[in-house]
Parts: sequence; structure tokens; C-alpha cells
Amino acid sequence: MSRKEELLNWLKEKLKGDLLAEDVSREKCLFIDIKKEALIETAQLLLSRGARYQVGVGYDARKSGQGLAMVHTFAFDSDALLVAIRAYTPEDKPEFDSLTPTLPGAGWSEREYIDLLGLHFNNHPNPKRLILSDDWPEGIYPLRQEVPYDLMPPAAEDVAFRLDEAPPGSSIIPFGPFHACLHEPAHFAVYVDGEEIKGCEYRGFMVHRGIEKLAATELTYSEIPFVAERICGICGSVHSVNYAQAVESAAELKISRRAEFIRTVMLEIERLHSHLLWLGVAGHLIGFDTVFMQAWRIREKIMWLAESLTGNRKTYGIVIIGGVRRDINREKAGQIKKILGEVEKDMLALEKAIVKDKAIHRRTRDVGYLSKEKAIEWSLVGPVARARGLAIDARKDHPYAAYDEVKFDVQVADSCDVWGTLVVRVKEVYEAISIINQCLEKLALIPENSPLAVELEGPIPAGRQGLSVVEAPRGEVVHYLLTGDDNRPERWRVRAPTYPNLQAVPDMLLNNRLADFPIIVGSIDPCFSCTDRVVVIDRKSASGKILSQQELENLSRKMRSKS
Amino acid sequence: MWKKLTEKAFPRSVWVYHCNSGACNGCDIEILNVLTPYYDVERFGIRLVASPRHADAILLSGAVTRPTLPLVKKAYQAVPSPKLVFAVGSCAIGGGCWYDTYNVTGGGDKAIPVNYFIPGCPPRPEAIIFGVALALGLVDKKVAPVELKQMEFPVDIYRKAKILESNRVIYQLLGEEDDRLANGRK
Repeated sequence: MSRKEELLNWLKEKLKGDLLAEDVSREKCLFIDIKKEALIETAQLLLSRGARYQVGVGYDARKSGQGLAMVHTFAFDSDALLVAIRAYTPEDKPEFDSLTPTLPGAGWSEREYIDLLGLHFNNHPNPKRLILSDDWPEGIYPLRQEVPYDLMPPAAEDVAFRLDEAPPGSSIIPFGPFHACLHEPAHFAVYVDGEEIKGCEYRGFMVHRGIEKLAATELTYSEIPFVAERICGICGSVHSVNYAQAVESAAELKISRRAEFIRTVMLEIERLHSHLLWLGVAGHLIGFDTVFMQAWRIREKIMWLAESLTGNRKTYGIVIIGGVRRDINREKAGQIKKILGEVEKDMLALEKAIVKDKAIHRRTRDVGYLSKEKAIEWSLVGPVARARGLAIDARKDHPYAAYDEVKFDVQVADSCDVWGTLVVRVKEVYEAISIINQCLEKLALIPENSPLAVELEGPIPAGRQGLSVVEAPRGEVVHYLLTGDDNRPERWRVRAPTYPNLQAVPDMLLNNRLADFPIIVGSIDPCFSCTDRVVVIDRKSASGKILSQQELENLSRKMRSKS
Repeated sequence: MWKKLTEKAFPRSVWVYHCNSGACNGCDIEILNVLTPYYDVERFGIRLVASPRHADAILLSGAVTRPTLPLVKKAYQAVPSPKLVFAVGSCAIGGGCWYDTYNVTGGGDKAIPVNYFIPGCPPRPEAIIFGVALALGLVDKKVAPVELKQMEFPVDIYRKAKILESNRVIYQLLGEEDDRLANGRK
């Protein structure tokens, strides 16, 4: 009996009549439908067996007469198993019990559907607006079927986002939306007491472009990989591969081995350029511009390599459902190996400079500390989790593409701070180079005329679920897909790694100095365009205020006269 | 006098402010890329600054989303005149592939007046440097806009067609068309 069957039987025994239906046909995935009253109980049962919470997906299932649906997905990392539990609620009573009190990581997922779907979550600790802009009127929920994708309702009045009250004795320093340390629009209100950060509130989701709605109304299956790539300009290929895998999982399509190797090579090239990008930006954020320039100099070669392989420096457009569009032949493989050799050499020199530099140590060690326990609680992913001693890596835990055939180690550090994330990322650069080299060797053994893409046999049946994970440079990306009619998915949900990681940022910031704010936020390698959806840490309430310019001037004059 | 001074001073030291109005990061990393050793725009005196108040030009990237619309307008107002606005990438130009979704208001020109458009998804670093250098008069334009005009025919075909038509009617009336055609073939 496989692990999946065993888990299903155990759940059946525990839940009895609350388990309505199950779907075990997909490899590595288990989809179950439960009564909505049993949602919390099921989640607790899964958590007790060591599951890690991934994401909540809400969608409008009124077309099939079942009201509104909410799906929560969990991962069993040691068993390579993904579990999705789904519950329905009638349209006239759109209520669910909130998972957030048991699982803080579910906070955003639920707030998201308060905005987008008009759901109500009982006992949610902080049901504030998350995604939609502040001037979006109440009562219009973009993800509902009757709302067209291009609806632009007039602005509501009295719109300002209300920040939480600051802890006593602290003042608020606003960061963003446009700020030197943030490369994307997002607003952080940082509560400080002198130099120490006492809390933080985040209001983001300013890059929300409504891609999921667009996919469900306008695009077709084969168009989405190219739009998926434009979710994020840094880890684009990750999204298109993940989407294609979710569709292939739903349609039970097996792609050729050669295509899988080419996908793996592209994913690793993306990891290389993303980690070097982060290293540069991190250097810039701590005021060490030499690292920035050097890291980006090394990175440029990888960009040229990507261009020669795919035709574009970014947004490769190489992945389609059923395979890839371009081949990597012997000549190109030789070119890749040559460039990777140069990159490795340059990287070793840069690493030496970083490791020996005292300034970097002092700016990153014990900064942004978050314990391993907290990391589990917030269900962190990627290098942020691996720097906290959690060996989770979707490439190892849930092998996809060709990762089951290559050898690599999951890089872990146990310093639990920004330094740890730096170490993990630098080590992963070497791992990525070794993975690409292994892939190229194995690619040479596969005959060159084997097909790159496999055609689908007939239309994809509606109502099937697909779930896929890919390890992006920032961590695990989850794509949930529900097939629909008209040659397009009914629901496609993207969860970027910044989504769980950013929720834990206020905890990381706590009791750090204000000057370290940029590097702590930077340490998770935030990608707001992927995440695109806000977190708030609950502090003890008291009054706080934002100082106006005049007040600041008065204050500084007073201080000066005193000294 | 101010105009002359600006013309003289602008091309040598333009400070640009990078404003991300809802981009996917693709254009942003290419903008950052032009600062790095391979492209090095500082040799043209172009510097990326952190505050719009220090800037001479804005590099706008990404489709303008609903929450950032007022913010982009504010950033534009904060830049002292004279100022230039560059829309970098397809999203900033026309809104990209999500130009009409519920949270996107459209391209950059819907929010603020844009002077130059730099196309691409994302534009190459060379394209960004070329766009900015073009605006500053450091390079010449490679293509000039061509105005298309309807050409005049040497013979007035409308008049000719009219005559032919009337002749045909006359021949038809005379019942001679078939004979004429037959003769013509010979």
C-alpha cells in the first residue's frame, strides 16, 4: 500500500461521513472533497502527520451549482505527496471557518478571497483589505463569474488604508511605495522606538494585474505559458514550466525526456542569474557597491547565454504545454559548458572576497533572526527556510522535470539570519552549475531527433484538478489548476515563494535596527510582482502617528538646541 | 537663457529616477543592468537616483495599476521641470498583455505625459541606453517617421472608367458587343 492510499484510508477512518469524494488518479497528488464544517479538523489532522501548508485557493463554482469553493493545499515533503482539500459553501451564505488561528500562514490566502470572492471567514484575526486598491468599492468581487475581467468601477469615497495602531512609545516611519530600497511598489509602515524596530505593517499588492481572472476569461490553455512568464521578469520560466506541469498533470500527459532535460537546464540558468542578481542587490543594500558591480558583471554572461539559447535575455518563451520549443544541440551544449566554466571561476573569486570581508559579516550576522520553530510556523520556503536549517527543496522533495536523475545536495545553513541566506544562495550557484553540466551530459545520450513537444490527444476534460510545484530561485512556487470549458482553465492559482516569506518579515524585523530594514526585506529576495497579493503583525494597540515634515523640523530643531 | 542653459547642461548629466508602476521586474532588472560594468551609463553622466526630487528624467516601467496611478502622478509632480519621461517596455507603453484588466489602468501615457517610448519585453539594455541617448541628442535617429500620402495617377482612371462604362452601355444597346469582341480576337 502506497503512502497515498494509507493516508487516504486513515483520513476516511478519522473523518467518516465528512469526506465526500476523492481523486487518486494523479501521480503524487491527492484531491479530496470534504464538508465545510470539517475543514479545520482535516487541516489539523494533516498537520499532525507532518504536512506543510502551501496555499488557499478560492473559486466560483456556481456554474456547476455548488456555490463558492475553497481549496487548501498541503505538502508532505518526505513522501513527495501533495494533498488538496476542497470544500463548498452555498452562495447565499458564503462563510468558512478561518484556518488562520491554527495556521498563521493561511492568513493572506483567506484575506485574498474576502477581497476577490466575497467570502467571509469566521474568527479571522485580521480581515482587512489585502489585494484590491483602497478605492475599490465594496460588493464587487472580481473573481466572481458575473464580473467581467475589464470592469473598472468608479472609485469609492473615504478610501485611505487604515494602518494598525503603533505600539506605545513608538513612531512610524513610512517606506515606499516608491523608495530607494524597494525596487517595486509596496508600502511598509515601520514602527520604531529610537533605532529599534518594534513592528511593521505592510500594504502591498500594487502590482496586482488580474492575471488569474484574465486566464479564466480571455486566454486559452496554450496562450497562458507566455502570459505566465510575464508574471515575473526574474523567474518567468519557473511560472511557465509550473503552469505547463499543472496542465499536463490535469490532462495526464507525459512529455518527452529530452524536453524535461531542456526545461531543467533553463530553470537552472534562471536560478544562476537570479542568485547573482540577489547577491548584487544585497551588496547594494548594505552599501557595498563593488559586490553589486562584480556580481552583475558575472551575471551578464549568463544573460547572453540565455539569449543565444532562447532568443531573448528574459521571458524566454521556450515552454509550451507538452514540451519545449527549442532544442539544445551539441554545439550549444559546448557553449554552455564553456561559459559556466568562466562563471564558476569568477564566482570563486567573488566568494572569497565576500567571505573575507568583515563589513559584510557585521552587516548580516544575527540580523533578521528568526528561529527554526517560527520558520515552520510561518511555513517558509526556499533559501529563507534553508538558512533556518529546514532542508526543504521542491527539487528533492517533489522531483519534477529531470531532477530525479541529477545528483545535488540541498544546501542548508543554521545561522537563522541574513548571512545564512547569503551562504545558501552562493552555494546554490555552484550546485546549479553542476546540475546543468550533469543535464548536458545526459542530454547527449538521448537521440537528437526525439520529439521536443507532445501533442494533446483531444480536448482536456473539464472539472479536473492539477497541482504542481517548482523550486524557483526564491523558493517553492505552487500552481493549482482546475480545467474548464472553452479551452481555458476555470481557475488557475499561482502562489509565489514571496507570499509565505513576506508574511514572516515583520517577525524578522522585530528588535532589529532601522538601518538593517533594507537588507532584511532584501534577504527574502522579495518579488512583489509574483506575490502580488499584504501582511500585518498584530501589536498591542496604542496610538501612533506619522510625523509631518513641519513636526520633524521642529523636533530636530529642539534636539539641536538641546545639544 | 534658461533654455540654453538646459540644452547645454542636460546631455552631460541626466539623473534618472526609476519608477516602477507595476512591472514584472523584467524591465527593472534591465534598467539596473545598464549601470553595471558592461553597459556603464555613468560614462554619459547618466545616474540613477533614489528620489524623484533629484531627478531630471523618469524611467517608467510597467503597466500603471489602479493603486499606483495616484502615486505615479505624485512622483511626476515631484520631479523639477524641465523633465523627461521615458516609458520603458511594452507594459509602460500600452499596458502590455493586461492593458484592460480590472486592476490595470493602461499604459504610462494614461497617467503622465510620456516623451519617449522604448519598446521591448523587456527592452535590451542597449535599447534603453539608445533611447536615453537619443533624447539627449547624443546619437542620431536611425529611422525617421514617414508620412504616407495617396499617390496621383498620371491618367485620371475615374474618367477613363466612366467613358468605358458608357461605351459598353452604348455597344450593348446597339447589339454589337459580341461582334466587336469576336473581331477583336481575330
